[in-house]
Amino acid sequence: MYNTRVRGILIKGDKSYSDVSRDVLRPLDAKTPIWWWVTAGLAIIAMAWGSWGFYNTISTGIGTWGLNNNVAWGWAIINFVWWIGIGHAGTAFSIFLLILRQKWRTSINRAAEAMTIFAVMAAGLFPLLHMGRIWDGFFIFPYWNTRGPLWDNFNSPLFWDVVAISTYFMASALFWYVGMIPDFATIREKTASKIKRKIYGAMSFGWVGNAKSWLRFETAALLLGGMAAPLVVSVHSIVSMDFSVSVVPGWHTTIFPPYFVIGAIFSGFGMVLTLMIVLRKIYSFKDYVTDGHLDAITRILTFISLIMGTAYLTELFTAWYSGSEYELFTFLKNRVTGEYTFAYWTMIICNGMIPQLFWFKKIRKNITIVFIISIFINIGMWFERYVIVVTSLSKDFLPATWATYEPTITEVAAFVGTIGLFILGVLAFFRWIPTIAISEVKSVLKETTTLKSFTDEN
Amino acid sequence: MKTNMLGIYDDENVMLHAIDKLQDGGVAVADVYSPFPIHGIWSRLKQTTRLPYATFAYGAVGAVLVFSLLYWMSVVSYPLKFGGKPLNTLSFIIIMFVMTINIGTLFTFLTYLFREKMFPGKKVELPDPRSTEDKFVVVIADIGSLSEQETIRIKKLLQETGASEIKESTVTLHEH
Repeated sequence: MYNTRVRGILIKGDKSYSDVSRDVLRPLDAKTPIWWWVTAGLAIIAMAWGSWGFYNTISTGIGTWGLNNNVAWGWAIINFVWWIGIGHAGTAFSIFLLILRQKWRTSINRAAEAMTIFAVMAAGLFPLLHMGRIWDGFFIFPYWNTRGPLWDNFNSPLFWDVVAISTYFMASALFWYVGMIPDFATIREKTASKIKRKIYGAMSFGWVGNAKSWLRFETAALLLGGMAAPLVVSVHSIVSMDFSVSVVPGWHTTIFPPYFVIGAIFSGFGMVLTLMIVLRKIYSFKDYVTDGHLDAITRILTFISLIMGTAYLTELFTAWYSGSEYELFTFLKNRVTGEYTFAYWTMIICNGMIPQLFWFKKIRKNITIVFIISIFINIGMWFERYVIVVTSLSKDFLPATWATYEPTITEVAAFVGTIGLFILGVLAFFRWIPTIAISEVKSVLKETTTLKSFTDEN
Repeated sequence: MKTNMLGIYDDENVMLHAIDKLQDGGVAVADVYSPFPIHGIWSRLKQTTRLPYATFAYGAVGAVLVFSLLYWMSVVSYPLKFGGKPLNTLSFIIIMFVMTINIGTLFTFLTYLFREKMFPGKKVELPDPRSTEDKFVVVIADIGSLSEQETIRIKKLLQETGASEIKESTVTLHEH
């Protein structure tokens, strides 16, 4: 006998359908709040500084960075991988949970997808910048040229990366937009402002919402989602191959693809948690993004953190078991101990240990602590990429070429600039786009869940 | 201009039950406008979509096309050895895999818009705009062609099945 225990409701506050539209659209109609202007101002200052970093790099060259012959990859690649990792949450969230029919995703997926779009935009800037001669960037495409024509090296992970990330960006953006069409139509029919009706009307593509259009909508969403799901796995696997197909000690390991994919989902979920706590606070969305939702995310993070910890231990074990003195040196003398101890242990503590505090219900229930831990995860994941990129390159096979790496102000500026870009994107999303998928929330309004997170005693 | 009758419901389950009653009574339900997808409707209105077949076709054609291009570029047009690897390599699979998804996604999206006749800036008029908010609108098409008795019978059926409002509309239905 199969018995499902119904645990709790997804959306609190006994909302009616029109309550949902009203609540979600309220911030769009309200006057732009002060905090918005202040944050946007800070983001623009960050972007201005970032533009200086970009200008400096492009006009003078990569020599403005702290790179050297040995450490040829620095902050640019670290930040690229970090942003791409964060960009994984949107797809992981909406698409995996869509395919797994997890209905609690509906309150969060729109924001997670928005985050994906802006994070991937920020990520994409770094490889472009790293080209040095950015005006020759089109060389990466296989186009008919006068040099043979000479085509790309289709066996290069760097080329795979270009294809994978642009595809990921396109697929995420289309999936995101298709999901928003019915909500734009709701604004079109509801708003009193003529200008808004025009703009959102144009963006709603003439959505009518009859039976057939919902059928095609659902089918299209499932198809786009189903196709993007393997991308979550492939994009970061390909990013990891940028490293693992080389012979550099610490990179040349088969654990890299799964290790990178799970790391990406970890950092993405961490950033979703950060963002959702902010969103529910400033817009009072506590009935939609309930404590149960946050609890469900923290439970997932606890599990992923365990996998991360296992991956770190596996790396150490493999370095020892391989019998390769170079591997052993990289891990034991250059990571666990040595010059980069701080970065390594920050990574271990932030990713492997701190999230384990989520085992305690008291900590899961305390949103302030949850928020702080989510920030630690973001920091930890940045250090993971720092450890991977810098430690391995700084001391490889030839001690004569050993070098250390310090970022220059230009590199820091470029990174801060992309943070500004990301924040400005998220702010624009908060201001002009329904941050919760209205039609999807309406469809689960009467639903209950079987998840333990949503029990009342929780 | 054809006149349609609208039965407006407040609850999707009441409305689904109403559709059954109407269809049992021999009334053809032309369309249903709702604020979110309702899964019981499509079987009742006998609606299907062939979108998945199109996606499969795009993916299949895409995979073949991408392989042909890679093969032609690497083996025929400019055979250049990289790192001693064969010209026609297994690692083409990675580009093929990603590009199959790329082509499948893009063309599925375009087909969706094309079949829905949707484009940026398209203007539409809904029989009742509240169907994007919280109402479920059941449409009985072209009541002008029906006898007066039949119209009264339909109205009564709508009332009995729990419609909160019944009205007539001259807005053209959205054909797909």
